[in-house]
Amino acid sequence: MTYNMQNTLLYVEDLSVAYGDKVIIKDINLVEKDVIREGHITGQVIAVVGRSGRGKSTLFKALTGLVKPTSGKVLIANTQTGLDNDAKEVQEGDIGFVDQKYTLFRNKTVYETMLFALRRKEMTKAEKHTQIMQYLRDWGLENEKDQYPCELSGGQRQRTAVIEQIFCSGHYMVLDEPFSGLDVGNIEDVKKAFDLITASHEFNTIIYSTHDIELAVELADSIYVIGYPTIEGKRMDYGTIVKHFDMKELELAWKDYGLDHIEVVKQIKQVMLSS
Amino acid sequence: MKQLFTPFENVSKNTRLFIVLGWVVLLLGFWFVSSMGERHLFPSPQQVWQGFLELYNEGLVVHIGSSLLLCFSAIGIAIVISLVFSYLSTVPIIKPVAKTLSKLRYLPLTGITFYLAILISDARTMQVWVLVVFMSTYLTTSLLSMLNAIPQEEFDHARSLGCSRWEVLWEVVVKGRIDYVIDVIRQNLAIVWMMLVTVESILVAAGGLGFLIKNSDKFMNHGRIIALQIVILGVGLFIDFVLNYLRKAFFRYSKI
Ligand SMILES: Nc1ncnc2c1ncn2[C@@H]1O[C@H](COP(=O)(O)OP(=O)(O)OP(=O)(O)O)[C@@H](O)[C@H]1O
Ligand SMILES: [Mg+2]
Repeated sequence: MTYNMQNTLLYVEDLSVAYGDKVIIKDINLVEKDVIREGHITGQVIAVVGRSGRGKSTLFKALTGLVKPTSGKVLIANTQTGLDNDAKEVQEGDIGFVDQKYTLFRNKTVYETMLFALRRKEMTKAEKHTQIMQYLRDWGLENEKDQYPCELSGGQRQRTAVIEQIFCSGHYMVLDEPFSGLDVGNIEDVKKAFDLITASHEFNTIIYSTHDIELAVELADSIYVIGYPTIEGKRMDYGTIVKHFDMKELELAWKDYGLDHIEVVKQIKQVMLSS
Repeated sequence: MKQLFTPFENVSKNTRLFIVLGWVVLLLGFWFVSSMGERHLFPSPQQVWQGFLELYNEGLVVHIGSSLLLCFSAIGIAIVISLVFSYLSTVPIIKPVAKTLSKLRYLPLTGITFYLAILISDARTMQVWVLVVFMSTYLTTSLLSMLNAIPQEEFDHARSLGCSRWEVLWEVVVKGRIDYVIDVIRQNLAIVWMMLVTVESILVAAGGLGFLIKNSDKFMNHGRIIALQIVILGVGLFIDFVLNYLRKAFFRYSKI
């Protein structure tokens, strides 16, 4: 499968985050470029895996500009200017973020939540209504339209949170454990959503974390393993990228799940266990 | 039967009703029995009823109205002050001011009254402002702890949707927590209600329940005093109930 890479979409350099004196993540470096495939619109799907407490959520908060990095920087493509490779430092609100707990506005119903997410879009009221109802139908939330978050199940809350960010965010979307707490059907829904998002614009980039390594290997074209590094024989106690699997290079991206994928799953698990 | 004495045991609605009725009967029975003899601590139910009728004929309703008016005007002003300071406490430069306001609740009432007396001459205005100063400190304390209890994720969620910081304040704190404000008022109501009666009996102005209590005190009329206490308790509980009802009726999502 041939592809080539163009504009840099995400550039992270020497990123570290500390809470007080406690360094959580350090020395994070990564570059993700726009993947171009002939005849396809190909967005980017990036997975982040790692054992609990290694700093995945912390990394995501820094990526989305919700937490100021202690050092280093996060650059994203500035798509407003239309220039190639024009970068800007990320700011809160630039990147959509669905957190691990699927937080929503407690005082807004599903419908009101969607309407709020669309508040800046230049659409008429009727257009907004049509779009919202379309999504609610597709995602099986039609009957929950007028319910508040406290009246939704975990999976319904999560889907609401995802749609809300689809409506509001630009090309980037970060999802912290989007598959946890979902049933088989919902998992398919989220997968479909990934496909829809990545097929709708070249720049669209999904970054997600998961404890389900198979889902990482199946969906992502780039996988980062976050763990405690071992430097000079000593295990450190901050998280960093201990390994990067480029599924495009391995010729495993955009393919059906097969034996080669299982091999990668094994390797990832090995790396995770030793970090 | 045994389940009535078992911790964490769930009982049916009817059983619950029976338990409550049982206690009420027990309490009334105790009251009748303990007030029967010649010398007794509590006035008998008849005396209390007598006291109640006397009070009613002296314009109890007007006095209740006067107390309620005082209560609502004080709460109204106090909640506006506390809300402004609490909401703005999210701004670093205002934070110490709000915290100080909350700490002022340790000030003794007499100190406050002394200085207010210099500023205000009218007794009614004085009553209102003593309560306002007093209540603002308590309300601010509760509101600040309500603010503190908002999880960071809720702010982050609003920020990730492109809300500016002022929008975050508006959406998450102001609009998102109105039901909590009602509950804060409700919870502090007991203190105001208690203070109100005291303030009314110290600073005599337009009557009110506190004024009545003071009057009954003078005559050592036990029946009246107890009747009045019951009325005050009842009115207080009624406001408590109304506020709780309003919160649940208007805010379906409110599960506090
Ligand atoms: N606000 C905070 N203050 C101090 N320490 C924190 C804070 N948030 C997270 N941490 C610490 O940072 C470390 C990484 O947490 P993080 O939530 O990023 O882990 P994670 O990889 O997302 O784990 P999980 O897979 O369980 O979600 C943990 O040790 C945690 O205790
Ligand atoms: Mg996490």
